[in-house]
Amino acid sequence: MEKSLFERYGGFSVVSRIVLDLYDRLLDDDDVGPFFDGIDMAKIVDHQTKFVSALMGGPASYTDDQIRKMHAHLAISDAHFDTLAAILRQTLADHGVAEEDREAIVGAFAERRALVVEADR
Amino acid sequence: MTIAAINEHLLRAIGVGVALLDLGTLRLRFSNDTFREWFGEIEIGAELLDRFAGFDAAGLRAGLETEGRYATETTFRLRRRTMTVALAFSRALEGDEAVAVLVCQNISRIKELESMIDSYSMMVERNTREIKREKEQVEKLLLNMMPRTVYEEYKTFGVVTPRLYDPVSVVCIDFAGFAEMVATHDPAVIVSELNDIYTAFDRIGEQFGCARIRAVGDLYIAVAGLPDPAEDHAQSAANAAVRFLRYLEQRNSSHPIQWSCRVGIASGAVVGSVVGVQKYIYDVFGPAVIQASRLRYHARPMRIVGSEAMARALGSGFTVAEAGRVELSEGEGEPAFAIAAELRPAGEG
Repeated sequence: MEKSLFERYGGFSVVSRIVLDLYDRLLDDDDVGPFFDGIDMAKIVDHQTKFVSALMGGPASYTDDQIRKMHAHLAISDAHFDTLAAILRQTLADHGVAEEDREAIVGAFAERRALVVEADR
Repeated sequence: MTIAAINEHLLRAIGVGVALLDLGTLRLRFSNDTFREWFGEIEIGAELLDRFAGFDAAGLRAGLETEGRYATETTFRLRRRTMTVALAFSRALEGDEAVAVLVCQNISRIKELESMIDSYSMMVERNTREIKREKEQVEKLLLNMMPRTVYEEYKTFGVVTPRLYDPVSVVCIDFAGFAEMVATHDPAVIVSELNDIYTAFDRIGEQFGCARIRAVGDLYIAVAGLPDPAEDHAQSAANAAVRFLRYLEQRNSSHPIQWSCRVGIASGAVVGSVVGVQKYIYDVFGPAVIQASRLRYHARPMRIVGSEAMARALGSGFTVAEAGRVELSEGEGEPAFAIAAELRPAGEG
């Protein structure tokens, strides 16, 4: 059986670093950071852990419906989505994820655009 | 630069928050850059403990008075981040004045890691539960295909050593006119009916220690005396076979499609093994299987025919009547026997 990206890049020990780095970068970013204002740290970390794990084929997966519901109350625009994609791409690059795999991960993320971006924007 | 100047520079620039408090009033005497970065500008001589939400001032005083130290944590938000800082107070002397030294370590990352591990272990636990459930389903499926002892061997070693079982009794059944039935009825109906019948046969077999080994189309093979040897294998097989027929008779009386089967039973040796690598299946081979198969052709519809060895091993409880000769192996024919339940079929369980 073909190994998932999650396994190939060293499982949780490596992915955990990506998760925390991504957490830092998202909170520091003044574009997407405000979405996390007032949200409990444990909740954000949980969200990021599952997010990265799911994108890399680790032990978490969301149905489209779950993703839609989780983001329904947020006014996420295409620009926000693009920013997050760029941050994700850069974080993966800084952790040594090869370009081909990076694009696969960001591609998997981009496929969910319609689920989170507000329709009337 | 003097040592004292270096010390002071270090103290100000270090990544640990440091503050000095007057021991009596607990008001601020000094704070370094990191401390101010976390807790904001506080004037010298100002009240400090107000900055820490829900701080237990009495606990601090008691700790400093008895053990000379006190430790706690405080959580606050700083630029969107939830910061958790460990506060360690200790009593000291500055010249001849008693002060409290407060050392603050940023443990936010540890808290974040703890949260991440919690989140991850929950995911892993959920996955483990799912895997366990799937494993149980696979095990159930495999146990339908082979006896438990064989399954255990397969699971442990990845292979199954062929084993000789001797003696056992093999029951072989097929249905009269099956090809025509398939041609004249909806295939889904035939499959559903067969499923119904085989399920009933399986249940009856289980009751009498006669386990199904194979069911391919209209051919049903079950064996008594395997994997655990049983002295009464012939009786088990005959008991099951008699009830197979009884079940079919009852079923035919209330169903539009009429099923008529013939049964051959032979006693002897078989070899049991898992066959195949990718598509493995547990199967039995040997003279008893071949003989049971041949005897079945000799049986009239809804009748049971057994081999001589089987009839001899049968004992009481059944009527055994000669039924001509069958060529069971190469060469001359051997005697065959019609087997039926001896006592009032209607009254028996």
